[in-house]
Amino acid sequence: MERASINRPPTPNQEDEPQKELSLREIIDVKLVESGEKEKLVELLRERLVECGWRDEMKALCRAYARKKGRSNVTVDDLIHVITPKGRASVPDSVKAELLQRIRSFLLSSSLR
Amino acid sequence: MSSSNDAAVSPRSQFALACFEELLESAVADVASECHRIARLGLDRGVDAEEEELCAWAARDHPGAVDGGGGGGNKGAVDVFGQVLPAVAADVVECMNCGRPVAAGRFAPHLEKCMGKGRKARTKTTRSSTAGRTRNNNGSAASSYSPYSTNPAGADRASLPNGITDGGGSCTGEEHSNHVLQEP
Repeated sequence: MERASINRPPTPNQEDEPQKELSLREIIDVKLVESGEKEKLVELLRERLVECGWRDEMKALCRAYARKKGRSNVTVDDLIHVITPKGRASVPDSVKAELLQRIRSFLLSSSLR
Repeated sequence: MSSSNDAAVSPRSQFALACFEELLESAVADVASECHRIARLGLDRGVDAEEEELCAWAARDHPGAVDGGGGGGNKGAVDVFGQVLPAVAADVVECMNCGRPVAAGRFAPHLEKCMGKGRKARTKTTRSSTAGRTRNNNGSAASSYSPYSTNPAGADRASLPNGITDGGGSCTGEEHSNHVLQEP
């Protein structure tokens, strides 16, 4: 009796190779995550966005959209597409600068090996 | 890593920007997810249909308090979803002990009485029954404690007060439940 799970073709080896050649960015990314810095950055960003009212703005956008489209027809993807352009544009410069600063200093500190 | 700082500035800044974009994506997804939830659950207080519903509900159960207590959370006020709750939970559930339909808000006191747990309101077959039950090791049929069932052979127990009877510990061959007496 032939079963798909037993007779499937062997996993191609190519999947192993890219892992050995992590790009610099990926390495740094991993470092960010492992050190917990990424988590802190996300939290910091969220906090700032709440403080400056960005989050409320986005919520208002979503609410308007949902009302127009009908509550039950809304998907998360829809909302993301609704928010993203406006969201990117309306992040206050100070918030962006602060986050970028932190990221850069992390990069600097992690470059010193 | 990078040998000279100059050469690394640009890629580094690029990376920082990309990283920031990623963080922003997370934040956006976060907001979108929450708004989606609010929309689907109908928690948005601004929608007309919802307001009508709430008004009707509040008027029915809690006249004069449409917006409730807000952050209070006690019965009769508004809960975290903004719903106005009646003082006594209205759902009717079936008691698993006696099989009666009981109002959910009254379920706890009902169960107390039903299982004879603590409060004074108990029926005839109470202490004697529970006391005798613990000593029931004669293999007699399940000494199911059901205060609502009739005791055909309980004439002698029916008149017993809610106090100490012969259930103190002496199994005089007659059990205190309502099953048939076991043979000596």
